[in-house]
Amino acid sequence: MAAFFPVARGVLLATIGFGAGVGLAAALRRASGETPALEPALALGYLFALPGWLLGVGLWEAWAREWFGLPVKELGPGGPQRYLRFTTDHKVIGVQYLITFLVLFLLAGLLALLMRLELMTPGRGTLGPGPFNSVMSLHGIIMIAVAVATIMGGFANYVLPLLIGAEDVAFPRVNALSYWLIPPVAVLLIVSPFFGGFDSGWTAYPPLSVVNAPGQLLFLLAFITFGLSSILGGLNFVATVVALRAPGMTWGRLPIFVWSVFSAAIISLTATQFVATALLTVVLERVLGMGFYRAEEGGAPLLYQHLFWFYSHPAVYIMILPAFGLALEVLTHFSRKPLFAYKWVVGSFLSIVALSFIVWAHHLYTSGMPDALHIPFMVTTELISVPTGLVFLSALGTLWLGRLWLTTPMLFAVGFVFNFLIGGITGIFLADVPTDIHLQDTYFVVAHFHYTIMGGEIFAIFAGIYYWFPKMTGRMYSERLGQVHFLWMFLAYNATFLAMFWLGLQGMNRRVAEYPAGLAGGNLVVGLLSFLLAASFLVFVYNALRSWARGPEAEANPWRARTLEWQTSSPPPHTNFAHPPFVHDHPYDYGVPGSVHGVIAPGIHG
Amino acid sequence: MVTRRDLFLLATAWALLTTAGVVLVIAVPLFPPPAAQEARVIDGAMGLLTALSAPVFALVVVGLGYCLVRFRRPGVPDGDGPPLRGHLGLELTWVAVTLALVVFLAFYGSFSLVELRAHAEHEQDALVVQATGSQWFWEFSYPDLGVRTREALVLPVGQRVRFQVLATDVVHSFWVPAFRVKIDAVPGLVTSVVATPDRIGQFQQDEDLRVQCAELCGLGHGAMASPVVIVEPHEFQAWIAEQRERQLRPQGR
Repeated sequence: MAAFFPVARGVLLATIGFGAGVGLAAALRRASGETPALEPALALGYLFALPGWLLGVGLWEAWAREWFGLPVKELGPGGPQRYLRFTTDHKVIGVQYLITFLVLFLLAGLLALLMRLELMTPGRGTLGPGPFNSVMSLHGIIMIAVAVATIMGGFANYVLPLLIGAEDVAFPRVNALSYWLIPPVAVLLIVSPFFGGFDSGWTAYPPLSVVNAPGQLLFLLAFITFGLSSILGGLNFVATVVALRAPGMTWGRLPIFVWSVFSAAIISLTATQFVATALLTVVLERVLGMGFYRAEEGGAPLLYQHLFWFYSHPAVYIMILPAFGLALEVLTHFSRKPLFAYKWVVGSFLSIVALSFIVWAHHLYTSGMPDALHIPFMVTTELISVPTGLVFLSALGTLWLGRLWLTTPMLFAVGFVFNFLIGGITGIFLADVPTDIHLQDTYFVVAHFHYTIMGGEIFAIFAGIYYWFPKMTGRMYSERLGQVHFLWMFLAYNATFLAMFWLGLQGMNRRVAEYPAGLAGGNLVVGLLSFLLAASFLVFVYNALRSWARGPEAEANPWRARTLEWQTSSPPPHTNFAHPPFVHDHPYDYGVPGSVHGVIAPGIHG
Repeated sequence: MVTRRDLFLLATAWALLTTAGVVLVIAVPLFPPPAAQEARVIDGAMGLLTALSAPVFALVVVGLGYCLVRFRRPGVPDGDGPPLRGHLGLELTWVAVTLALVVFLAFYGSFSLVELRAHAEHEQDALVVQATGSQWFWEFSYPDLGVRTREALVLPVGQRVRFQVLATDVVHSFWVPAFRVKIDAVPGLVTSVVATPDRIGQFQQDEDLRVQCAELCGLGHGAMASPVVIVEPHEFQAWIAEQRERQLRPQGR
């Protein structure tokens, strides 16, 4: 039970902090001659609870003590307990992120099933419109968090330092802080239904997000906290890649997954502040009555939409760039060939970073923005298909003439290419102003972004889970069950979401609990298929849990891959490598006689 | 190794899949029947984009499928493939073709948008209708005709209509699926969009003739829809007269 001491202490200090904040809010309201109100109390309470929680889970011992001139110290022994407290080892943090976000992924998946249950019939169904809106909004924001943080927090943390031959990330304590900011986010979102929930989607457009239930405030605080975690994570990966590459690991030899994380990290480091501004203004409007978005006080609701998408469109590249990198990484190792057009792909990642900042207003084609402004945003958005197209060229060129080893991770990577192709092509319909005027806010959009994020990124995440499972757990998963999972998920996924495109074309608009009777058949089909899709995850959960507990022990390099993470034990020792690695040749030079990527042996630096 | 036969098979499969895709686009109507001139511009754009997608989709899918079948090894591969790092000609061609597609799409999209909004010169003949969104209903007013109603959006066929869209509380969005036009209703702004209904019809027969709120606006968002009725001009005049008369009688409101 001692293992739970840091978390329990965190909860206790958070509670004390919350009480102090609530008291302060009440005192301030009284001092200004008003009666205490719920939302100022919640906001100030949270502001004080957060540091209490962080100090309690171990930030005090590992970090804060030195602010007072005291020596920092380890909190208790290693072992499994280290997963339940402020720990600076990037491998522990990677696993913490992965498990947290896989659980959230399954939870938000169940919320999707609740929505499909409501939509089985055209009129009011099992939930009714109020709870439906809350469930829909909660599904949206949790999945956004899953999409932003699973690869960047999970895989990038675990694997990136190994891939570049580093002992850890550049700022290990900042890294632990990034992770421990996540549980408050999850708690705020999960308790929000007890405060009336929030019914404005994950986009939270004001004035709706100003006038609805107090659950909205919890959403805003959660999103701001998540953004802080995301900025700190981005900072860490940029610094790590710049500063901690092993000798010989030149920029031209960086594994493609590292390049993709580096590119995404630049976006999370520099764009997240904008969404924080947007959300903070809504908080201030709710808590202090400032009129940023109230037209009658000179506010402008459209301003929020610009600020919001100035982050939230680049954010989709925080989600998808690492997925590109992960899928290409897996494709090249299991084709046993160099990554085709490596330098072009690196160039395409960096140009996507640049372009991602100048496309945001394609979310505003129907907002009332002047027509003349639509055209430049249409052009920049369509331009993104040029670098994205290169990713497809690289994938095909890598497979071509390869010696394909169709393991589960390889199948998921191929599934990624297929699904993202559909996601990418349908994006053109939404980039084009005339077609988007009709398709905006229909299920066509819903199907499109699920094809990029679920069909794309989530498939890449599963490729990563199976690929690095032996490295992280030291055990092998069941290949047969893995392939069953892939085939089931791939077929059920495509059936469900292809049908959604059709619904959208037929005029089904999104975020509704009720719809015209003519769309009943299509919705019923999508609903039934979605349950079939959900069932495929049971195969995964069973395989993962069983293999982790009782799978056969994994070798150091079961895939015979060249990159550095496979040149050390599974799982790796605390400092990653027995000796500091030295990098010679390109990571993907399969078939080049005598080529070696990394050497890990004593004395090579002498 | 790769033979001429491989390339021939690839090219054939690509051509077949592309043709099948284009035939499908022509044979299957993607959208429900349109009811406005503007809808035809959007339907044309939709058809062209879908037809253009067919060769792109077919190229990648055929390439992917062919590799999986042709280059798959049973079990663990016995060695590595050829160290092929890239092909400058192919890379440049790929970029050039996608760039050409983008340039085409940008011009095509811009010209369709201009066509869609080509209304300025007819501005004075347009019938002005104000559509005001509130939680959770639409109100339509005909300021030049002195009529206001929440029951239905009644429009004469063949008449250009300028919709001025307003909101009283939160953001809504004015969308008539059969017209394919959509514009947000933003508190503090008057947004505007033009549509020209070109066939008779009404919601009872055609569910796409409805003013549907398309921007999440809270509890009643899904149900925030009003019927659209498109009638002959003389029927419209009669309806206006009837509405005016009703509004003059206090008990009729």
